[in-house]
Amino acid sequence: MKHFEYFSAHSAEEAVALLQKYSPDALPIAGGTELLVRMKQNLIHPKVLVDITHVPEFQGIALTEDGLRIGSLVTHAEVAASPLVRQYAPAVAAASGSVGAVQTRNLGTLGGNLVSCVPSIDSAPALLVLEAQAVVFGVNGRRQFPLTELFVGPRCSSLTPAELLEAVIIPRHNLGKPACFSKFGRRKALTIALVNAAACVETNPERTHFSQVRLALGAVAPTPIRAYTAEAYLAGKPVAQEVLLEAGRLAAEDAKPIDDFRASAEYRRHLIGVLTRRVIEGALAGMPKV
Amino acid sequence: MAFTIKVKVNGEWKTADVEPEMTLLELLREQWGLTGTKLGCDEGDCGACTVLFDGKPVNSCLVLAVRADGHDVVTVEGLGTAERPHPLQSAFEQHGAVQCGFCAPGMLISAKALLDANPEPAEQEIREALAGNLCRCTGYTKIVEAVKSAGRAMRSSVK
Ligand SMILES: Cc1cc2nc3c(=O)[nH]c(=O)nc-3n(C[C@H](O)[C@H](O)[C@H](O)COP(=O)(O)OP(=O)(O)OC[C@H]3O[C@@H](n4cnc5c(N)ncnc54)[C@H](O)[C@@H]3O)c2cc1C
Ligand code: FES
Ligand code: FES
Repeated sequence: MKHFEYFSAHSAEEAVALLQKYSPDALPIAGGTELLVRMKQNLIHPKVLVDITHVPEFQGIALTEDGLRIGSLVTHAEVAASPLVRQYAPAVAAASGSVGAVQTRNLGTLGGNLVSCVPSIDSAPALLVLEAQAVVFGVNGRRQFPLTELFVGPRCSSLTPAELLEAVIIPRHNLGKPACFSKFGRRKALTIALVNAAACVETNPERTHFSQVRLALGAVAPTPIRAYTAEAYLAGKPVAQEVLLEAGRLAAEDAKPIDDFRASAEYRRHLIGVLTRRVIEGALAGMPKV
Repeated sequence: MAFTIKVKVNGEWKTADVEPEMTLLELLREQWGLTGTKLGCDEGDCGACTVLFDGKPVNSCLVLAVRADGHDVVTVEGLGTAERPHPLQSAFEQHGAVQCGFCAPGMLISAKALLDANPEPAEQEIREALAGNLCRCTGYTKIVEAVKSAGRAMRSSVK
């Protein structure tokens, strides 16, 4: 790696002040599993790294008045093992549990995953279907917005260079809702998703018809996306195979996947259909028995 | 600017002066001569550089050495010696789980973390715990058997 200067920040204010002082040559570092790899590959050369791992405001998982708050510095291993996340948002725990290998999950953070804005990031779909909010800290204090607005394009977030993701909040009204995450890669372990998906499903009390379904997909568009056409189609439809097939077809249209070195657009459209069915069925299966 | 850091390595505190761009892996191998930990891919993919960091397995090629200041690191040298091998090391030997041996230090560290947390892992749990450690020689079967057998040996010795 090329030489850089290193500062360790001990508060959110200090981190932001350092980033602003050295902007545009400074980057924050959390787990480093994304950043250091890109530096070693000579893709980026920050002159200054601001270590944010000791910023207390960005730590911890807690149930608050607003919902379930997960600090940006919480590692994937911690998300996956957290009793709170497993109880109130098991799809989020499953998504973090699917990232890389044990070693990656012990270092990599939820915040680093989201802010990297790689289209295939595994933590995005489940958080999107639970309508998570992003809490961001900058020189002018905090702001909060829907997580969807964090993702601008491949490796491009809506944060300014001196802003940091502080936490995500899963709103109270979505805690414990039936949701499911699934990912498909070239092999079972340690794999970047060719497609990943999550669904949050609500039905009528008899479970014969969908009342509302939220569906999100990754690795099939410049950013992780919600499949709004498929969602609109599903509302009020019977719980039936043909309906799931049609939803999968519509989701592929929402996504408009492209050919790249990992997979062809056609194969990705097929995978979108398969994963759409899988996550909806998974969410239904997770519902308490009627 | 170099940083002076103190790291507890295999139970003993050591100090070093490190540049910010030095990785923990480089510190271990090049400054401290702990060459048991291997440099494979240098990008977090192969697991040859796995060490325990505060008890948890991480890829030392993706940890900046400055970050280790004040922390506890265990490398394969901290597991056992030729005279007094760790049960995992004996099991790897007995089961032929080592061929060229390049992956073995990382495998042993990942397996130790697993058995410390879960003394009786199912085969699937062993495979998941070792998913971040690549082996080009053995085909994994013997490694998984060795971990099972070490788990049994460790359980019977604590009884
Ligand atoms: C072997 C391997 C396997 C992997 N497998 C997967 C996988 O299966 N699925 C997956 O989704 N990812 C995977 N990754 C990618 C990576 O590990 C994850 O995205 C991880 O969550 C990144 O978090 P980090 O804390 O390490 O981020 P860092 O590398 O520290 O940071 C990533 C980027 O985000 C910025 N950043 C970090 N934290 C913040 C913050 N709080 N506010 C603002 N900016 C911030 C950094 O400046 C940097 O640009 C893998 C990586 C490796 C090396
Ligand atoms: S050398 Fe660190 S994971 Fe390969
Ligand atoms: S024994 Fe050769 S790489 Fe595993």
